[in-house]
Amino acid sequence: MTTRHETWLEQGDIYSIGALDGEQLKDFQVHLAGCAICERHVRETRQTLSALCQSIDVLTPPSSVKAGVLATITAAAETRRAFAPRRVSMAWHRWFFAGAVPFAAAAIFVFLIWNIMATRNEVARLKTQLAAMQLDATQNDALIQSLSDPEVRSIQLAGLAAAPQARGKLFWNPATRRGLLLTFGLPRAAPDQAYELWGIAGDEPVPAGVFLVDDRGETRFVIPELARERSFDKFAVTLESAGGVSKPSGPMVLLGTL
Amino acid sequence: MIADSPIAIQLIKKVAAQDREAFSQLYDRFASLVYTLALRMLKVRHDAEDLLQEVFVQVWRQAENYNEERGTPEAWIINMAHSRAIDKLRSIRRREKNIVFTANPADAESAGSVESSAAQSEVRLTMNSALSALPESQRKVLELAYFDGLTQTEIAERLAEPLGTVKTRMRAGIQRLREIIGSRAA
Repeated sequence: MTTRHETWLEQGDIYSIGALDGEQLKDFQVHLAGCAICERHVRETRQTLSALCQSIDVLTPPSSVKAGVLATITAAAETRRAFAPRRVSMAWHRWFFAGAVPFAAAAIFVFLIWNIMATRNEVARLKTQLAAMQLDATQNDALIQSLSDPEVRSIQLAGLAAAPQARGKLFWNPATRRGLLLTFGLPRAAPDQAYELWGIAGDEPVPAGVFLVDDRGETRFVIPELARERSFDKFAVTLESAGGVSKPSGPMVLLGTL
Repeated sequence: MIADSPIAIQLIKKVAAQDREAFSQLYDRFASLVYTLALRMLKVRHDAEDLLQEVFVQVWRQAENYNEERGTPEAWIINMAHSRAIDKLRSIRRREKNIVFTANPADAESAGSVESSAAQSEVRLTMNSALSALPESQRKVLELAYFDGLTQTEIAERLAEPLGTVKTRMRAGIQRLREIIGSRAA
C-alpha cells in the first residue's frame, strides 16, 4: 500500500530532477513549502543528482568569462559603495573628475538589470510562499472549526521505553475524522527516519501521517482526514523510515488511549 | 568530487564577507564543472559562457545564504547552474517551439580543453560506470530529464511511452544512483 506521503516523496524525486510538470508541479510546490520531510528529501536527491555532472568530460571555460565575472562583481561592489552614505571630501572630487561618472553609470546599469532579474525570481518565490500560506490558512480555519466541536476528545500520550521523557497531546474529532497532535521531548529522527502516527482500532493500526520534530522534540502535526470505517480506541507514534510505512515496524515511542 | 568540501566551505564563507580573492579561488575550483554542465545542457558555447557568468554572480550575491548542513558546496553550485540551465532551455523551447536534439550534445560545439587530473578522471570513471550499470531505459530518462531539461510529459511523448512507465523508470534510476553514490561515500 502506498501512503499519502510516499506519493509526495515519489513526486519529490521527479521534482528534484526538474521533470515534474502541470498540476502535479503546482500541487507539489505548495506541499513542499510546508513539509520538512519533502524539503529534506528534495535537497538530498538534488545532492545525489549533482553527481551526474561527474559522468561527462570536464571542459575548461575561456578565461574571458572569469574576467567578465570579476568585472561584474567589482562593478556591483563599487555601486554599493557609491550608494552608501559618505562624507564629501576633496578625494571624492578627484575620483569624480577622473572619469568615474561613466563607470558609475555602467555599474548602475548592471546593478539595475541584475536587480530586475533577482526581483523576478523573488516574486515567483513569494507567489509560491503565498499560495502555501493561503492553503495553510484555509487548513487552519478548517482545523479550528473541527476542534471547536464539543465532540472533540483530548488524549494524553505517554512516552514509552524508547523515549521515556517524551509526551504528547492529541485532539481528535471522531465526527470529522481529523485532529491535531502536539509532541514534546521526542528525540530528533535520523536523516533517513521519521515519526509516524497510528490510529489503533482493536489490534489494527491505521497510518495517520508522518512527521518530524524540531530540536526540542516538538511538533504541531495536523492529522489528515482518516478513513471512516475504523473507530479508534488508541493512538500511537512509532519511529519509521522517512517515507512512512503501511504497517508499524519501528519502536513505539508514544501511546495514548481514548 | 573535484574539490575538498571543507576548503570550499571556507572559501564560500570568505566570499560571503566580500573577499574577492576567495571568490577567484572558488571560481577556479568549480567553473569547469559548471561550464561542462551548461554546455552539455544548452549545447551552444556562448550560452554556456553566459550561464557560467550568471551562476558565479549569483554565488557572489548569495554566498551568505549557503548552509553547509544542507549540502556540499559542489551540489549547491551545480544545482544553481542546473536550475538556471533548465529555465533557459524551457524559455528557448517556448520561443522556438522546435526542439533539436543532438546525439551527443557535448559534441555540438567543441570548446576548451579537456581537463585531465587523475582525481577527476577517477570520479568520472566511477560515475560513468554507475550510469552504465543502469538499464538503458532508466539511463535514457535520467539523461533526458537532467541534461536535456525535458519534463516527464515531454519524455513520455518523445519516447512514445506511457507517462507512468517514464515515472517508474525515472524513480528507479534515481534510487539506483542513490545506492551507488551512497556506497561510494561509505
